[in-house]
Amino acid sequence: MRLSVKRAGALAALVLSLAAGTATADDARPAFTDAEILGKPPPYIRIESATLRFTHFDQTGAGFQSRAGRRGGPGDEAVLVEQPQLEVVAKQGDRVTHRLWIPIDIVTAASPDAVDVVSSSSRQNEAASVDWTTTYRHDAATSASMRAGMHNEENWRSWNVGFGVSRSFAEDNTVIEASVNQIADWFDKYTLAGKHDGHTARSSFNASAGVTQILSPTTIAHVDYGVTIQRGQLSNGWNIVPLTTGDVALEVLPASRVRHALVGRVAQWLPWDGAAHGSYRFYVDDWGIRAHTMEIELYQRFSRTIYARLNYRFHTQIAPGFFHTSVAPTFELATADSDLASFDAQTVGLKVVGEVPLRFAKSLRFDVGAERYFRSNDLRVSVFSCGLGLLF
Amino acid sequence: MKYLALALCALAVSGCVIVPQNRRARLADPMMAFSQDATETHRKQKLYSTREGAAGGDGLTAGGGCACQ
Repeated sequence: MRLSVKRAGALAALVLSLAAGTATADDARPAFTDAEILGKPPPYIRIESATLRFTHFDQTGAGFQSRAGRRGGPGDEAVLVEQPQLEVVAKQGDRVTHRLWIPIDIVTAASPDAVDVVSSSSRQNEAASVDWTTTYRHDAATSASMRAGMHNEENWRSWNVGFGVSRSFAEDNTVIEASVNQIADWFDKYTLAGKHDGHTARSSFNASAGVTQILSPTTIAHVDYGVTIQRGQLSNGWNIVPLTTGDVALEVLPASRVRHALVGRVAQWLPWDGAAHGSYRFYVDDWGIRAHTMEIELYQRFSRTIYARLNYRFHTQIAPGFFHTSVAPTFELATADSDLASFDAQTVGLKVVGEVPLRFAKSLRFDVGAERYFRSNDLRVSVFSCGLGLLF
Repeated sequence: MKYLALALCALAVSGCVIVPQNRRARLADPMMAFSQDATETHRKQKLYSTREGAAGGDGLTAGGGCACQ
């Protein structure tokens, strides 16, 4: 019995040592990989969102700059614009985000188009842009972005580059942003008879700075100031001015323009699952144009996935001193462009937005909206828009 | 100008209050965003920048195309 106890003890020691050896081998070869524990690492380049939008603009009205009417009177400003847009946002690694944006404008029945004065060959005018923005996130609070793009139109080429920085403070309660943009336009000139008269150019430089501030758990505000300096041919090349003699002449605008705009916005959460946005914008430039713009947006959520927006905008502006609907032939500067006139403009709109989760993507976002814009100087625009976006 | 200075002072003073991350759920709702998405912003810009001589100058690019101006 004593011997068997000794044997049993030795057997137990052998089993324990074998078990210990097995355990050591298991430690060397873990049962789970990093990927199994932490999840599969995201690909280096991945699509974050893809958005398609289609907008239809239907404009009617009349303006003295248009030659699509009786001489000396306002001409037709009717125009239809179909505008598809595509935007893709992709992430490259942890710090870099790319945004590719392609808007296309298909303009039909553009009655003021000078080319149509001598030929009706350009009743339809297609325009397309490509815009690429790359944002580098330096750390959790700081990011910088570079922007480049080009615009191609029947008689118009445009290139733009820009740079922006953003920095947040106080646990992201305050965000300060600044940006600069330079645009170069190169486009055709026309004679009064509508014949091609070489090319001309325009330069636009814009700088802006803004601050966004969280005011409370339900309130956020934003203030932005921007200045734009333009040089070169600032007319579009075919707008006319009626003369006191009964004839017409091409408009002549100053060769430079400095524009200032100050914008303030506030968004307030409302206790009945809604939100209200209010904004005010003041604009002034060295041509003598001053403008005030107020806008109110009311949001109401109907369910976790659907909400609606009702918006109203009021804009009023005064014309520059060289705006005339009839001018003596000896003028130095003159425009009859209804966009530069003194007028009040109002916009009312309604939009419904939905966002539903999907199996293969984070969510599908869709919206349908309509707006009506009407001006006191005989211009009306109906706008219908729908958007469809996938968020990954 | 006096009202603008008062508004800026109010903004600066209220900026001293820090709202922690866990109390910003309402602010994260898409209804509270100042800009819905870039395509919607461009749609709005297209409506006004080609019809109002006082548009632009506030960070939005001015120039570039004029088909229906």
